[in-house]
Amino acid sequence: MSSSTTESLSASHPPTTVDVTMPQMGVSVAEGTVVAWRVEVGDRVAAEQTICEISTDKIDTEVPAPVGGVVAEIIVGVEETVEVGVVLARIATGADAGDAILPPPSAPAPGDAILPPPSAPEPGDAILPPPPAPEPTSPSGRRRYSPVVQRIAAEHDIDLSAVVGTGRDGRVRKQDVLAFVDANGAEPAEPPMHIESPYRPDPSPAPAAVAGARVEAASPGAAPASPGADGGGLSRMRRQIGQHMKRSLDTAATCTTWIEADMGRVEAARARLGVTALAFVARATIEALREYPALNAWLEGDRYTRVDDVNLGIAVSLGDDGLIVPVIHRAHELSVEGLAARIRELARRARDRSLSADDVAGGTFTITNPGRYGSIMATPIINQPQVGILDLEAVVKRPVVLTDPQGTDSIAIRPMTILGLSWDHRALDGVLSAQFLAGVKRRLEGVVV
Amino acid sequence: MTTMTYLQAISSALRDELRADERVLVMGEDVGVFGGAFKVTDGFVEEFGGDRVMDTPLAESAIIGCAVGAAVVGMRPVCEMQFADFISCGFDQLVNVAGRMHYRQGLAVPIVVRLPSGGGFSGGPFHSQNPEALFMHSPGLKVVAPSTAADAKGLLHAAIHDPNPVCFMEHKHLYRRVKGDVPEGVFETPFTARVARPGSDLVVIAYGAMVDVALEATSDLEGASIEVLDLRSLVPLDEDAVLDSVARCSKVVIVDEANMTCAAGAQVAALIAEKAFEDLDGPVVRVATPDVPIPFSPPLEQAVLPGVDRVKEACRELLNY
Repeated sequence: MSSSTTESLSASHPPTTVDVTMPQMGVSVAEGTVVAWRVEVGDRVAAEQTICEISTDKIDTEVPAPVGGVVAEIIVGVEETVEVGVVLARIATGADAGDAILPPPSAPAPGDAILPPPSAPEPGDAILPPPPAPEPTSPSGRRRYSPVVQRIAAEHDIDLSAVVGTGRDGRVRKQDVLAFVDANGAEPAEPPMHIESPYRPDPSPAPAAVAGARVEAASPGAAPASPGADGGGLSRMRRQIGQHMKRSLDTAATCTTWIEADMGRVEAARARLGVTALAFVARATIEALREYPALNAWLEGDRYTRVDDVNLGIAVSLGDDGLIVPVIHRAHELSVEGLAARIRELARRARDRSLSADDVAGGTFTITNPGRYGSIMATPIINQPQVGILDLEAVVKRPVVLTDPQGTDSIAIRPMTILGLSWDHRALDGVLSAQFLAGVKRRLEGVVV
Repeated sequence: MTTMTYLQAISSALRDELRADERVLVMGEDVGVFGGAFKVTDGFVEEFGGDRVMDTPLAESAIIGCAVGAAVVGMRPVCEMQFADFISCGFDQLVNVAGRMHYRQGLAVPIVVRLPSGGGFSGGPFHSQNPEALFMHSPGLKVVAPSTAADAKGLLHAAIHDPNPVCFMEHKHLYRRVKGDVPEGVFETPFTARVARPGSDLVVIAYGAMVDVALEATSDLEGASIEVLDLRSLVPLDEDAVLDSVARCSKVVIVDEANMTCAAGAQVAALIAEKAFEDLDGPVVRVATPDVPIPFSPPLEQAVLPGVDRVKEACRELLNY
C-alpha cells in the first residue's frame, strides 16, 4: 500500500450509505420485530455500536452498526415485524459523515492493508483504530481510552465522552468509568436473554442530567412503559412467561399423575459416575418416550404430530429473572454421561445468556427439576405445543415396605422420589400416562450400579 | 513451625532430603569439608559422609555432567554452583544434555542445580548475576526462585522430587536477611505464584529478592491498594495467577533484578499484552537492571539495581496515569 493510494482514497471518499439489515439469528428464525431504536437520524455511531433492539419468537438481541458513520435513515419503525435481510436503517459514511471511524467495506482497494487507512494519511501511524465516537474534550484533540475503560464502557453502554477523567491530562481511568457506573446506576447492558419469549432488562430510570451525557435509555418509541423493579410492574421476561403459562392452561386439558420411585440404585450409580440424578431421570424418560411415543409429540389445534427424535427440554432457573428451557436435540443418542454433560453445558450457557435461538427451539418433551430445595410434589404446566412435562422433585429417605422374592414383607429406609407427569388429556388418556410413568420408574429402579 | 533464615531453610530442606531418601546426594565446590561457600552444607559431610556430600573440582561442566549421569541411573543429585554466575561453564551439560534428555531419549533427569544468585553486596560482575532467563528460554528446564524462608524450603523439596532438571535460584542477599516461620519436615510448595499482599489499584509482579523491594516500596503509597504477586516459579509460569491479578488491578509494574532485555519480566509483560489486553488501564511498566554488568562500586551498584525508590516512583507514575 502506498501512501498516495491512501490519500486519494480518503480525499475522494464520496458520501455513501451502508444498509443495516435484520440479522439471521439462527436457522429457525425467519423474521424479527424492532423493539426499540437506540439512535435517531443524524446521530453519529461507531462501528459495532448498538443501534437498535430486535426480538424474534425465540430470542432478543441487539443490532450493531456495521460501520461507523451517521444515521441517515431509519426505515423500520418500532413494533414493525420484517423478514430477515430487510433493510432496517441506513448509515452514511464517507467525507460528509464527519468522523466516520471506518470506511465502508468497499473502500480499500484489493491488496490493501487489513486495517482501514487512518484519516491522517500516514501509513503505520496508528496501530489501533481511533476509539469509538469520542467527543474531543481536551485541547489536545480526541481522547484515547485504555482497553479496560473501553470494555467497561461497552458493557455498561456508557458514552465515554460524558465521563470526567481524573488521570493525567484528564485521561479517563478505570476508576473514573467505574465511578460513573455507580453514580448513574447504569444497569450493565446484559447480553440478550434467550428464551421462548423476548426479554430485555427494564430500562433504568433516566439518570439525573450529567453534563454532556446522552441518555440512551430514552429511546424513541421504547417498549410499553414498564416500571423498574421498585415500581411493581413485571419484567418483560416475567410477562412473557406468564402469557406462555396462561396460554398453556387455557389450551391444554392439563392433568397430573404421580408415581413413587426408589432412587437407591440411581443414587449409587450417580455417585460412581459423578453426575446428577437428573441425568438418569432424563435417560429413563427418553427410553420411556421411545416406548410410549405418543408423549413425544406436539399438539397444535387439531394437528397432532408424533416426533421421531427426542428433543428433551430441561428447565433452567435464572434466579429472579425467570427461567428458560434449553433443548437437548436428539437426546436419545446420548448416554447418561453425555446427557449430564449437555445439561451442564446448557445450564451454564443459559445463565451466561449465551444460548442461541436454535438452542431453545424444537423441544418435544420437557423435564423440570426444582427438587433441590426439598419440595416433593408439583403440578407442572405443559410447555406448549408439547403434550407432557415430567417433574423431578427431591429425593427423600422414607420407610417403605419391601417384599422379598419369598413374599416376606419388611420395612426399609429407601431414598424415594415422587415423579409428576402433567399431560394433555386432549392428546392421550390416563392409562398411557400411568404406563409411561411406570416405564420411567422401572428404568430408574433397574439402573445398573 | 520453626523460625529460620532463608539459608537455614535451604539447609534444612537438603538435610531432610538426605535423611529421607538415599538417592539424594549433594555435589559442588567446597560443599563438603568446608561446608559450602555460604555454609549451606555446614556439617553435612560429618552426618552423611563424603560419598553423599561430594567436593568436586572447579569444573561446573563436570559437576552437572556427573549429576546428569547419576540422575539417569536413578539418583537425585543436588548440585551447587558456588555462584550462579559460574553456570556459564556448565551451560552445555545443563541446557543441551540435561534439558534435552527427556526429549531425545525419554530419560528423566531429576537433578537440582542450586544457583546462589543476585547482587546487592558489592560482589561485582562475576558474583552478582541473575541468569534465570537464560534457562527459561531453554526447553526442558524448570526454574524456581523463592523469596521467603518457607518457600525456599518447600520449593527445594518440590524441586528435588520433580522428575525434571530444576534450576533453583536462591538469592544470596536473602540468605541471612530473610527470616520466617517454616513448617517442620518435608513439604512441597507448588510451582505456582503467591499473592504476597492483595490489592486492587495496581499490581507489582516480582520474584526473588525483588518481592521484598516491591512490598516495601508499596507499603504506603498515598493509600493506594497495591497488590504484590510473587511469581515463585518462572518455569512453569503461573499464567492464571498473573492474569487474575491484572484483571483485578488493571495496572501492572513488573520488577526484575536481572538485566532488562529478555528478562523473566519481559515474558510476563508479553503474556499480559497478549492475554489481558482488555483488562489494562495503562501501559505495562517494567523496572529492571539496565543492560550493564553489576558494578563493584557500592553506590554504582545501588544505582543500577531496582530499589525501593525506583519501584515507588514507577508505581506513583502509573497510579496517576
